[in-house]
Amino acid sequence: MKVLEAKNLNKYFYNPKKFKVLENLDLAVEKGDFVSITGKSGSGKSTLLYLLSTMDTDFEGSININGSEMQGRSNSWLADFRNHHIGFVFQFHFLLPEFSVLKNVMLPGLKRAAFPPQELEQKAMDLLKLLDVQDQALKRATLLSGGQQQRVAIARALINDPLILMGDEPTGNLDSKNTGLVFDLFKKLSAEKHQTMLIVTHDEEFAKNTGKTIHISDGRID
Amino acid sequence: MKKIVTDFKLAASIAFVHMGAKLKQTIIATIGVALGITIFVFMVGFIQGSQNYMQAIMFEQSPHLRLFNEVKLSDKTIIDKIYPHQINTLGHEKPKDIFLNLKDGKQAVKDIRKNPLVKTVSGSVSTKVFYRLGAVSINGTILGINFEEANALFNLESKIVSGSFTELATMPNSIVVGTGLAKKLNVKTGDKMELTTEKGANFSISVIGIFKTGLVDIDNQQSYGSIKTVQRFLNVPSSYLTEIQVKLFDLELAPDQAKKLQKNYNYSGSDWKKDNVTLLESAALQNMITYNVAGVILLIAGFGIFNILTMMIYEKMKDIAILKAIGFSNGDVRRIFLTQAFVIGIIGAFSGLIFGYLISYAISKMPYHSDVMFSLDHLPVSFNPLYYIMGFSFGILTTAVAGYLPSRKAAKVDPITILRG
Ligand SMILES: Nc1ncnc2c1ncn2[C@@H]1O[C@H](COP(=O)(O)OP(=O)(O)O)[C@@H](O)[C@H]1O
Ligand SMILES: [Mg+2]
Repeated sequence: MKVLEAKNLNKYFYNPKKFKVLENLDLAVEKGDFVSITGKSGSGKSTLLYLLSTMDTDFEGSININGSEMQGRSNSWLADFRNHHIGFVFQFHFLLPEFSVLKNVMLPGLKRAAFPPQELEQKAMDLLKLLDVQDQALKRATLLSGGQQQRVAIARALINDPLILMGDEPTGNLDSKNTGLVFDLFKKLSAEKHQTMLIVTHDEEFAKNTGKTIHISDGRID
Repeated sequence: MKKIVTDFKLAASIAFVHMGAKLKQTIIATIGVALGITIFVFMVGFIQGSQNYMQAIMFEQSPHLRLFNEVKLSDKTIIDKIYPHQINTLGHEKPKDIFLNLKDGKQAVKDIRKNPLVKTVSGSVSTKVFYRLGAVSINGTILGINFEEANALFNLESKIVSGSFTELATMPNSIVVGTGLAKKLNVKTGDKMELTTEKGANFSISVIGIFKTGLVDIDNQQSYGSIKTVQRFLNVPSSYLTEIQVKLFDLELAPDQAKKLQKNYNYSGSDWKKDNVTLLESAALQNMITYNVAGVILLIAGFGIFNILTMMIYEKMKDIAILKAIGFSNGDVRRIFLTQAFVIGIIGAFSGLIFGYLISYAISKMPYHSDVMFSLDHLPVSFNPLYYIMGFSFGILTTAVAGYLPSRKAAKVDPITILRG
């Protein structure tokens, strides 16, 4: 079953002058796949991921996720969809500095409001444990090291059991031990819970071990 | 529905974290609003209080409507009447030496008393006189009254500072003089003095009391006598009345009734609105000034809210983008910042009302003495709840306006532009 299907995607940037970043791009991902996206710097990987994550709505073509078309949806519909079905990990961790680690992880779940806060807290603690940062749960987010924060951000992206987890070089700032930890977790989630993983990476080792690799150059899939 | 509530709660909890992180600026903005409301409540209360007080004594001393006879030049001269078809020129025309009395005044008083709209009515006779004692001679007016009627109208009894009105009707040539007048003449209750009418007749009179209304115009030149006494001074019959004064049950009907009665009896007339134009207009002007000052203060307070929110949004640009990335909508983000604006506004407005009340209360207990507002021992302050409701509404309105633009700006933040590496 296809969980994500993009057809004929075109994306332009107008600054400093009009240029086409993505050109007639087609893409299909099966549910439960662990897919890596590779390509040279500047080839358009991040741009593609922002489109697929519904955060960037300025594109031509069609993106269909879980049977719903994303083109032309309202802001609040997309926000809600993102909240329920898509987890996103940036290359930089982007935690909210005034909140505790635990609260940061819980926030998408609090927004979704499908579970009572206590249950959510337990779930957040479990995720932090999986990522080996459970002992930092009550600290303010800014007090953690870069690698720890990155793992917290991954926990946050997983709190709502997303259909698709998208990562823009999520292990770029991790040492090899923690990269291995994250890779194993992604692999396990795709295999056991059939969550789809769509991960941009520069790490050849990482890409080699995923089920499928999409290579992008100059805004096209080769 | 439940989703809306949890969304709102979540937005509020984030708003509070933001405000906690910027506690100092938040408090300053709140104080700004509080200050605006405080000054508004206090100023309006104080100005309204003194206006109400002034108007109360003014209205106590003035009837709702008056009927009198006026010296006027007839618009047609005698020559015009005799030779109506030619142009007549007449130089240096003088008013006729008419009596100022109301025709059939006594009967009119009786009729008007029967009118169901009328609460009290009093006929009086007034004239200009010179008060004299030794070398001092002061011109003023004397008002001949029926004490019972006039007291019902103007509550004269309460204005007495020494002596009384009781012997006015029985003791011949007795008068009660205004306190300013008494001071100028240097007379006390029980003293005798002289009075000269415009026609030159002299009378010896006794002062049986001194009154004080608080209105300088009256207290400095007026005295009361019985109708009979004044009629005797003028050498006129007992039917001679110069003014009929009326209080109605509903003072708003006065202008209307005044017109009707003027027409019925062919008298001249006036009502409290006409008589107190300056007072009413200056009250309106004072109100305008108050509202303008309060408006400017609230504008500054609103600017404070606008400022802190705008600053907050610039500093929290990244956080806003993150919230959007994890599923917060534009509306959710707007709600976070509107909540901040309203928390500042509501806390500010409430504390403004409380401080405004406390200051008003303190002022209203402050000892105060004035020759004009003589019956005051403290400043008059109005505690009308309307002003508090208005103050609160102004505060919330300012907040809403000041919070709207920054919140919209926050809602429009594009997460990709901010978070792209
Ligand atoms: N906001 C933008 N305005 C203009 N050009 C952009 C913008 N964002 C990215 N680009 C350009 O688009 C191309 C693709 O960028 P990106 O998707 O970030 O590449 P990658 O993630 O593969 O390194 C690059 O040439 C980059 O300079
Ligand atoms: Mg990139």
